[in-house]
Amino acid sequence: MFTLIKREIEDHIAYFLGAAILSSILIVLSISAAYKAKLDEHPVYSIGLSIPVIVILVIGFPAMGASQMYTDRNRKISAFLSALPVTRGRILIARIIAGILAILTALVPLTITATVLRPLLMPPVPIYPGLIFDMFVTVFLMVFACYCLGLLTGWASSKVTPTLAGLALTFVLIPLIAVKGFGLHTTVILILFIIASLIRIRQKFMSTAL
Amino acid sequence: MNENVIEVENLVKYFDGRCVLDGINLKVPRGCIYGLLGRNASGKTTIIRILLGLEPPTRGQTFLLGAESANLSAKVHSRIGYVAEGHNLIQNYTVGRLIKLCKDLSLHWNDKFFEHLTETFRLPMDRRIGQLSIGMRAQLNLSLALAIDPELLILDDPTLGLDTVARRQFLELAIDLIGQQNRTILFSSHILSDVERIADRIGILAGGKLVVDCALEELKNRVKKFRLIFPESAPENLYLTEIVNQEIEGREIAITVANWNQQKQAMLGTFQPSSCTELPMSLEDIFIECTKPDVAPLAHL
Repeated sequence: MFTLIKREIEDHIAYFLGAAILSSILIVLSISAAYKAKLDEHPVYSIGLSIPVIVILVIGFPAMGASQMYTDRNRKISAFLSALPVTRGRILIARIIAGILAILTALVPLTITATVLRPLLMPPVPIYPGLIFDMFVTVFLMVFACYCLGLLTGWASSKVTPTLAGLALTFVLIPLIAVKGFGLHTTVILILFIIASLIRIRQKFMSTAL
Repeated sequence: MNENVIEVENLVKYFDGRCVLDGINLKVPRGCIYGLLGRNASGKTTIIRILLGLEPPTRGQTFLLGAESANLSAKVHSRIGYVAEGHNLIQNYTVGRLIKLCKDLSLHWNDKFFEHLTETFRLPMDRRIGQLSIGMRAQLNLSLALAIDPELLILDDPTLGLDTVARRQFLELAIDLIGQQNRTILFSSHILSDVERIADRIGILAGGKLVVDCALEELKNRVKKFRLIFPESAPENLYLTEIVNQEIEGREIAITVANWNQQKQAMLGTFQPSSCTELPMSLEDIFIECTKPDVAPLAHL
């Protein structure tokens, strides 16, 4: 399994580098904003920064999922690997784990930075202690849901329907978070969507001719 | 041991409404070198892909090493070497990287034998697969398939596109493998002389059916071709069963009959031909006779 995950990471290293670079840029921006805020003694309202970040993540990770599946189909990678002591299920699990690792590469450093700089970056109103964790979970699940749609798009022979479904989902998810906020309701809806997507991907990937 | 390494039961496969395989039944015992023959698009590759679980069947079941093809475990896969038609390796990888990947994924890897193969073939480790010639890709593919010491080796038209020397090298290796005990090989090819050289059992696919499935020597003994000349015009019907092919021209009949025996010989004698000559048949001749489009469906040999 480790070899398969390593192969996925090496083949899609550009997405990992992209995630790390995006994360680094945001950390540098946050630290400089926090430093400035400390000097001026004014808090920074970070909500403006988080929207473009979410948009980049929501576009970037489905692209990674689609690329993983499309490259596989195009270069017949799974057909080759399936002739080795590897099952299709393992190939798919390794692919998804690589996707999760790429998402975490982008989100974990950001979450740690946000936790450390929270007193400086947040508005001067009382917030509950688990807010950053809830934000992390919701954004992770949202990006992962979009990544799953990318996997479906990349494996489907017709790209139009899954792409439209992906766009529709993005337009639904962002207002959903805006209305419901980062919390249990959103988490449950996203988890249900992810489970449905994963079942569909598994069924498609396991049954298609390689 | 007399177990079957490959089992195909009533296999049916349709592609876009077209029947490619129509109720195939096949059993390959351990230690057998089975040559699967057929014209282009006769379904040879489809059978192999279904056996390996790469393609779902429309109906029927297939088993490799006792396990159902649709659910082959990693452990069963580790006992199977596969050389795919066209040698579909990962094109953007270097040879070295692909070898490392295969080695890391394999449960058993014969380093000594693999090194011997790479030295024999002089495979360039730093070159990308896409830049290799077809011959080199075939050699690499075979080396990877053999490095795991497979109990079952499946070769799907492996010598396609190879020059004579590379083909000979390839066959020598396959013959080496045959020398090892209890190895089973399923070998599909267009080059009948290759199959004739190594196979001990033959299957011929035609019209979606396995029209021949028997030992090579038995096939040669059982399919006979005669040229009959009659004193007057040739009879329209010789009342023989299992006629593979028959061509009538004036006083002369060229007839190919399956399962030749004394009864059939006696029946032919009743027509009192002025001459009856047996024409020697190579595997290629038998193959051509069996796969002619206007041939009546054959009885299973």
